[in-house]
Amino acid sequence: MKRKIPLGICLIMGIMMIIQFFIPHPVSLGFASTIYKWVIVLMAFALVLAIGNLIRHHTLKIRKRKEDWPYSIVTLFGMTAMAVIGLIWGVDPDSLYQRIFLNILAPLGGTMFALLAYYMASAAYRAFRARSLEATLLLISAFIVMIGFMPFGQYVHTRFPAFAEWVMQVPNMASQRGILLGVAFGSIATALKIILGIERSWLGGKE
Amino acid sequence: MKWYDRITRIDRRIIYLLLTSLVILPFFIKVTIPQNIMPQTKRLFDFIEAIPPNDKAVMISFDYTPQTQPECHPMAKSLLRQCFSRGIPVIGLSFDPQAPGLAVDALTSIVNEFDSLATSKEDSLVYGVDYVYLGWKSGRIAAQLDMGEDIGGVFPRDYFGALIDSFPLMNKVKNYKNVAIVVILASADYPLDWIRYPQTRYGVNVAAGLTAVMAPKYYPFVQTGQVSGLMSGMKGAAEYEKLVLDHGYARALGNAETGMNSQSMIHILIMIFIILGNVGYFFSRRQKGADK
Repeated sequence: MKRKIPLGICLIMGIMMIIQFFIPHPVSLGFASTIYKWVIVLMAFALVLAIGNLIRHHTLKIRKRKEDWPYSIVTLFGMTAMAVIGLIWGVDPDSLYQRIFLNILAPLGGTMFALLAYYMASAAYRAFRARSLEATLLLISAFIVMIGFMPFGQYVHTRFPAFAEWVMQVPNMASQRGILLGVAFGSIATALKIILGIERSWLGGKE
Repeated sequence: MKWYDRITRIDRRIIYLLLTSLVILPFFIKVTIPQNIMPQTKRLFDFIEAIPPNDKAVMISFDYTPQTQPECHPMAKSLLRQCFSRGIPVIGLSFDPQAPGLAVDALTSIVNEFDSLATSKEDSLVYGVDYVYLGWKSGRIAAQLDMGEDIGGVFPRDYFGALIDSFPLMNKVKNYKNVAIVVILASADYPLDWIRYPQTRYGVNVAAGLTAVMAPKYYPFVQTGQVSGLMSGMKGAAEYEKLVLDHGYARALGNAETGMNSQSMIHILIMIFIILGNVGYFFSRRQKGADK
């Protein structure tokens, strides 16, 4: 029973949501709108669960003095401080919350991401070798796109930007479309398996 | 050590030092290299140019994070400059929890810029009349679909806690029928959801401003017309800045132009290092073959 009821709900709701998508009648639209609101509320609860989990994980880490536990204090302090500041003083453009976000979090995030440039430059220099035909083709296409997309690519040759655009519009698009179609068919198959109760891993536990 | 071995073993600290210098240089030495505008960027610009003033709204989904702010923030600012200059109302919203802070910053800075130039009260931008920021909402796909029926049902209050029914703009814009286009500025796969669900169901026009890593995935959608325009990375942002400047909607180029110069310098440096590495590799392989 513990498994049959959720499977039944999944089957009925899955079929009903497919039907309503193709029949834009006021009744089906109203039904869908109610379901969407439920989903929004459920997702908000998932967020509460995630926050609870984060607090539990880091509290345990601090209590057991696990490796790098002082960072957990920073995490918990940062999370609590931002929540309290936002709730008490608001999130207006001139608020303390907004100032902390723009002057602490945003530069920190940007700095972490900027480090990628160093790793990429170093890795490209060491690993990007024309060892095989495929690697050579990759190297050539990368050069074409990089030069073509740079503002002065047009000074290397007037047709360079157009050629780089062709690489993106034709070979890139063909492969992207193939991947997208593959993903789409895979998604349809997985959705059908879930709706029909063939795929049951989402229920958790043992079979 | 032979010369070809030496050029394959350059100390990474030298690479890092050169990289840092080249990133910083364009911030001190301003060089304006004309941008060759890509067709998909122009398509988005032309689409917004074709929207009649004070008619349908442009919905901007601010879904980028501080990590990708250098690419997406200039896009947001240029887009806002174009919309406000043309009298097109803007509705902002977010589905990425890190985005609201950046959305508020983009809106505030552009509104302040316009207000500082306003000669009368009518010229200044009014919150709730010319623009609204609805904030962040969980349950992305469900929210996007439900907005096709009633935006107020999904966002009863704006980001700052005010009831959206109190805004004249939101009394005019009830659902996607009153939205000319949704422009998603994102560093993740958010535009795909807009294409798959609200566009399929309600036929809403979708455009995107994405990081350069994300953009190639959306070329098929540009070709089919499902995406009405695309700004691709720092280049797309710099192109849009140029278009906005050329049409008199801005007084100067923004940060994307400088960022693009830094990026170009790094690309050249990386290419030089790749060439050096490959020349060294080629000669050392030839030498090994000769030794055998």
